[in-house]
Amino acid sequence: MKKYGFMTGLLTFAVVATACGNDGSEGNAEGNNEASAENSVEANEEEAEVTSLGSEEAEVELSFWLFGATGYPELAEEYVEENPEVSINFQEIDMEDHHNNFFTALSAGSGAPDMAAIEVSEMDSYKDAEDQFINLNDLGAEEIEDDYLDWVWEIGSSVDGDFQFGIPTDIGPTVMYYRADIFEEAGLPSDPEEVEAMIETWDDYREAADTILTETGIPMADNPETVFNAKRDQAPESYFNEENELILDSSPYVKEAYDEAASMIQSDYIDNLAMWTPEWGGGMADGSYATLLAPAWMQGVIKDNAPDETNWRMATMPEGAGNWGGSWVTIPEQSEHPEEAFEFLTWLLAPEQQMKAYENMGLFPSTPEVYEMEEFVNTTDEYFGGQNTAEIFAESALEVEHVHKGPQYGDVNTEIIDGLFNVMDGADPEEEWEEILQRTEQRLAR
Amino acid sequence: MSEPYRKEIEENEPQEVNSQPPGNKPAKKKARTFSQKQRNIASGYLFISPFYLLFAVFGIFPIIFSFYLAFFQWDGLGDMNFVGLNNFVIIFNDPLFWKSLYNTVIIGLMGTAPQLIVALLLAFALNSVLVKYKGIFRLAIFLPYVTSIVAVAIVFSVLFSNQESGLVNSFIGLFGFDPITWTRSEWGAKVAISAMVFWRWVGYNTIIYLAGMQSIPNDLYEAAKIDGATLRQQIWHITIPMLKPFILFTVFTATIGALQIFAEPHIFQGRGGRPEGITVVLYLYRDAFASNFFGTASATAIVLFFIIIVFASVNMYFANRIGQSSKVGSK
Repeated sequence: MKKYGFMTGLLTFAVVATACGNDGSEGNAEGNNEASAENSVEANEEEAEVTSLGSEEAEVELSFWLFGATGYPELAEEYVEENPEVSINFQEIDMEDHHNNFFTALSAGSGAPDMAAIEVSEMDSYKDAEDQFINLNDLGAEEIEDDYLDWVWEIGSSVDGDFQFGIPTDIGPTVMYYRADIFEEAGLPSDPEEVEAMIETWDDYREAADTILTETGIPMADNPETVFNAKRDQAPESYFNEENELILDSSPYVKEAYDEAASMIQSDYIDNLAMWTPEWGGGMADGSYATLLAPAWMQGVIKDNAPDETNWRMATMPEGAGNWGGSWVTIPEQSEHPEEAFEFLTWLLAPEQQMKAYENMGLFPSTPEVYEMEEFVNTTDEYFGGQNTAEIFAESALEVEHVHKGPQYGDVNTEIIDGLFNVMDGADPEEEWEEILQRTEQRLAR
Repeated sequence: MSEPYRKEIEENEPQEVNSQPPGNKPAKKKARTFSQKQRNIASGYLFISPFYLLFAVFGIFPIIFSFYLAFFQWDGLGDMNFVGLNNFVIIFNDPLFWKSLYNTVIIGLMGTAPQLIVALLLAFALNSVLVKYKGIFRLAIFLPYVTSIVAVAIVFSVLFSNQESGLVNSFIGLFGFDPITWTRSEWGAKVAISAMVFWRWVGYNTIIYLAGMQSIPNDLYEAAKIDGATLRQQIWHITIPMLKPFILFTVFTATIGALQIFAEPHIFQGRGGRPEGITVVLYLYRDAFASNFFGTASATAIVLFFIIIVFASVNMYFANRIGQSSKVGSK
């Protein structure tokens, strides 16, 4: 009997172990400490917000999975009114959950919606699975291609351009947000036009950083990540070439961006406030850093974190803009109504609707036609001292060039950002770079 | 399976029970005429079948699939490529895997060993006649266990902020220590993560010990007092020996739990984790869900599975020995 007990005990714990271990999301909460952690993680995530539009008798029922605050359900009300044969079911959820759900549905071969958004950083990992998506070119996507910025359109298509995965929604052209008060305190010009004239290159940026640091003691940037991102995104190539081979040690651009960020760290121009931490957000209100190199959608984050602040302004990025963020809406192979879905998407993502999405939610349009619309051109923002913000973003958006990312982009990026924070903690930049190369190689071998 | 059912089935048709897998309909050739006995058996199995069906779908299948996956390279969407033992070769050659194993053991020790000792002392205090308002204290001590682990991790992330103005950093600053970059320093990260484990679980273990202490007959203490035993002697010679099964239970669950620490470092250090605080489960999670390397993630799961078996067997071995020796003593 004792032996029997031993075996059951062993089996129970073995089962507990694998139940947790096999995919990391099924903790068995039975009495053991941290296994229940994962259950709580899931229990705490926000539930999906579901919106159904259209009559119940509609012949075609479309489902649309989205993340973040897009305001699309409100926009689409007009569409279902004009097209009573269509009803649409929106499911909005947090970004990470959205991609997990969508990935699982594709992998399982059932349960995917008629339309699903994919964020730019995830896009390339889905491109391996052409058979899981409908080629939008077959549905007539080529006809609307010219409405969109070239580089945005290219991100949503296969390397050879034959297969169109998605239609672009919004984008995130980058600019330099800065604190006028800190610039003034350091004796520098603070008016946007003068700032743009003063900081045209990265050398100018360093010079301004030096002045601000000596005059006020305030660092120029919030953390190495934003600085590195800004310079990396201006390069014509990134971590991988179009065959998805790692080019980290052969291509000069990423190394240059790394060196630039590392040397700014060593000159104390960069603060230690990791993105999305409470201190980082608090710094927007307190003026812990003088500039924030970030995309268009960051204006909402700044306003949230520093609602009473009157000193934030924006100027063009030194040496040209990059893109950070944005999504593409795809139609999975599993969809039963691809034509109707495509028709709805061409309406939803057309310039007129993108203009409305910009007004409602600040989604920056991927259709350059909007940049000339009168309502758009005349957009000014009191928060940013009455600046014409749309103009600055539009200028950036037109400057961006397409860069191939590759499915394993995120893994490489994590290693480099980790490395930069290690430099901040005192690691030697050259040695750290060698370590980054090793760690990346180790990751990509899997 | 509840005891009465089991007895009935065994008395009725022990042969039949062994030959039929649970959950199956007893649809053999003679199935057209069910005897009452067979019906009883069938309904018994039907009553318990939901658990086994769910367990098969959400428990057994993933486990088997995970074993299968460990020999393939798979990104979740594309084709699966058979790579043999290569996934194991990759993770065994990855310094970060060994680092994560080391971290898990260190964080486990730092989080659980002091926790069990403190829990024992707290339970003793709560059990003593000297403390008033016991109910309130018991509730207060148990309360952290109810808190969501994510909330705990987020609050502790603020406490253990890297900034000089962070709460813990300002506090240690009072004693003249330099501020610590908690999320990125070798011991800072481990201390912060262990602190979360400690805070959340100490109450749980306290309550278990308290339950154990209340099962100890008061006569023993009274007799000891009459013989002139001090408080320390009472704890050492009465409380702890009598609590042995409870201590074993908590050590057991804490060991398994410690091997599976995940949410704390995941939230404290971000989705990918960092070498200072990455644990085996986080390493596994990172492979599977941050990078879509399901093969190596499954291989890691299997290695973790065997590690837990080893720990569980060692614990079992000691548990059995202690059971035996106490029996010998009582005879």
